[in-house]
Amino acid sequence: MTILKRAAATGAVALIALGTAGSGPAFAGARANSQVTVVHGIPGQPVDVYVNGEKTIPGFQPGKVAGPLSLPAGQYDIALTKPGDAVGNALLTVDDAEVPGGANLSLVAHLTGDGKPALTPFANDTGKLAAGKARLIVRHTAAAPAVDVRAGGQPVFEDLTNPKEAKADVDAGTVSADVVLAGTQTRVLGPADLDLREGTATIVYAVGSADDETLDLVTQSITGLHSAPGGVPSGDGGQADRGVSLPWYGVGGAGILLTLLGLLRLRAARR
Amino acid sequence: MSSTRGASRPRPGRALLLTLTGLVLLTGYGAAACRSRPAADFGSPPASPSGPSGLSGSSGAPASRVAVRDGKPATKAAPDAPARLRVPALGLDATVDPVGVDPATGEFAVPPSVDRVGWYRYGPGLTARTGSIVIAGHVDSAEEGEGAFFRLGSLKAGDTITLTGPGERTFRVVARERYRKSAIPLDKYFARDGPARLTLITCGGPFDERTRHYRDNVVITAVPSP
Repeated sequence: MTILKRAAATGAVALIALGTAGSGPAFAGARANSQVTVVHGIPGQPVDVYVNGEKTIPGFQPGKVAGPLSLPAGQYDIALTKPGDAVGNALLTVDDAEVPGGANLSLVAHLTGDGKPALTPFANDTGKLAAGKARLIVRHTAAAPAVDVRAGGQPVFEDLTNPKEAKADVDAGTVSADVVLAGTQTRVLGPADLDLREGTATIVYAVGSADDETLDLVTQSITGLHSAPGGVPSGDGGQADRGVSLPWYGVGGAGILLTLLGLLRLRAARR
Repeated sequence: MSSTRGASRPRPGRALLLTLTGLVLLTGYGAAACRSRPAADFGSPPASPSGPSGLSGSSGAPASRVAVRDGKPATKAAPDAPARLRVPALGLDATVDPVGVDPATGEFAVPPSVDRVGWYRYGPGLTARTGSIVIAGHVDSAEEGEGAFFRLGSLKAGDTITLTGPGERTFRVVARERYRKSAIPLDKYFARDGPARLTLITCGGPFDERTRHYRDNVVITAVPSP
């Protein structure tokens, strides 16, 4: 994993060239396009998203999720402007962002821990899930201190800081999730019912600012990660076995013996 | 000098009787063997597109038309569970339970009661427009005897199957396949993409008295009637 840092026009920029997520064959990684989803987590500021100077997502509203864009491997210049502004007058830019082949990425416009706008790429885990399971990924992309994420009141991810993620594969179903300041009972977000669908990765972003009281959740989901059950056991009685049973083999064997014996005797009798 | 004397010389009548008895027994065996042969497979289920599903995005779409969704947490999907399964050709009208996976084994949680069948609730539902709606049921059980799907393997091409729930949907059989459980392409039958179809699964083939398992799975594929 290489780390690129380039001077940007404005804003704090962390630029990471991500390794190919998952375990696809090497040739696929070299050739296949990457799927890039763009997430808007900066409150109060609609933007136009430019990719390589081309307006790609116009009027992108906070709290929305766009894409996925299918991008060939390569380097991309990404810029966010106020709607209608010239690309040269961007709010936030990232130059030469490295997109590997065959990856699934989320590019998140969000606030850093101290409230500055940033554009952070995350590699999405699209590994297959066992039958009955769902993947929960939580990303701290809010101007807020370290937090614990709880499900049904129990901490599942502890001490998560901006811009880190935590994830787990869990039983599919609905959980009531909330976010508290790390190590406390002080709720800063939620509770929210999350429908964790089987075979799906549900990615939850904590966005906004604690100081400005604009904390919120944005979710993205990636489907198609399901696996088939291990088998279909649907009978233990044996009545449906229509196979030839042992007594019938005995009958067949006796038949052959008697026939041969009879034929031999017939032959002998003719002499 | 003759080695065959009158007393031990076989009598033709007796020899003939022996031969005939043997032939009768052989015929009986042949009939039993023929009767035990399962009906031949036919047809093949509609294929799903190859490659990973759900991961492909808006490839080829103009850059100016990127799909934008709201990031609010998804609300629970509307229930789409079939409630009854009717197969007139088998005289079958069974209750359908929504089921998932047995946490202990990772296998399909077929309802324990043999007169009920299980719909795989994680996969496509009654009104699905893509993918395989999977329903599995017992062929039999040691405790309860013959199950709802005891005669599933005798379905023929064109037989109708009706699912009812919030609505009603009729399918017609296009394929009957038999696989060893160790070789069955379950990914194909549990696919969530490709044309809409109904997949019925039960057990079949030789039964192992020691492990109390059937060797095979019998799979019926049906497609929506026009």
